[in-house]
Amino acid sequence: MILEVLAFFVLAITAAVTALAALLVRELVHTIIWVAAFFVSLAGFYFLVSAPFLGALQLGVYAGAVTILLLFGVMVTRKRIFAHEAATGLGPAPVALALLIVVVLATAASTISSSTNQVYGFTISALSTALFNQYGAWLLLLGLVMLPALAGAIYLVREGRE
Amino acid sequence: MTGLPLAGFLALSAVLLGIGIFGILTRRNFILLLIAIEVAMNSAILNFVVFGAYWGGVPGYGIEGQSVAVVLIGLAATEVAVGLAIVLALNRLRGSINVAEATVLKL
Repeated sequence: MILEVLAFFVLAITAAVTALAALLVRELVHTIIWVAAFFVSLAGFYFLVSAPFLGALQLGVYAGAVTILLLFGVMVTRKRIFAHEAATGLGPAPVALALLIVVVLATAASTISSSTNQVYGFTISALSTALFNQYGAWLLLLGLVMLPALAGAIYLVREGRE
Repeated sequence: MTGLPLAGFLALSAVLLGIGIFGILTRRNFILLLIAIEVAMNSAILNFVVFGAYWGGVPGYGIEGQSVAVVLIGLAATEVAVGLAIVLALNRLRGSINVAEATVLKL
């Protein structure tokens, strides 16, 4: 119990700090490293609330594929890979809006009462049964969204267009 | 497994959403914009998973949270793929990936 609370706080601080660092660091390659750490810390949360399949999915899809895709984007679009990003001002309005959102959502979250502090774990077979029987239409819909999206991505970067 | 309050996870999710929205509003580099969108989206996915875990005994709130999360992770990955295709097309067309310079919709 005390170990879980400790793990929660370590992971929460890691997630918030790495997310901020990813957006504030001036070198894009360092940003990719920070964002990979952010995705890994979120996978830690999923293992913490007994959702191991989602943790593995987060590690594979986000920490693996999305990070490499972003790194590929950085490599292709820069002339010098370690070039500095031009400094962009923080601006009072975006900071104020973000803080407002955090305060409103956090106060709303504190009013939500969980009936227990018990975490329900689900086996992977239960999850797959729910996904493929009960909510099979969602997976089908996801496939129907993914196919034109990836076809559109290939169309955007195809050879021989100016 | 007991002990952690639900509100802690929700507060963390709110903080991550705030960081993501701050990034969306301030960053001008397209890749940083994509990363900010991913941070905001991950906070939403975390919310689904945590509610599913804590309200697992309530019908309609248990395994559904994880099912939605699986679909959302797939959608977010698709969105990154399309976003990077736009980044590459923009880079080819304009020579930079500053979103302030992307003034024409036709890529």
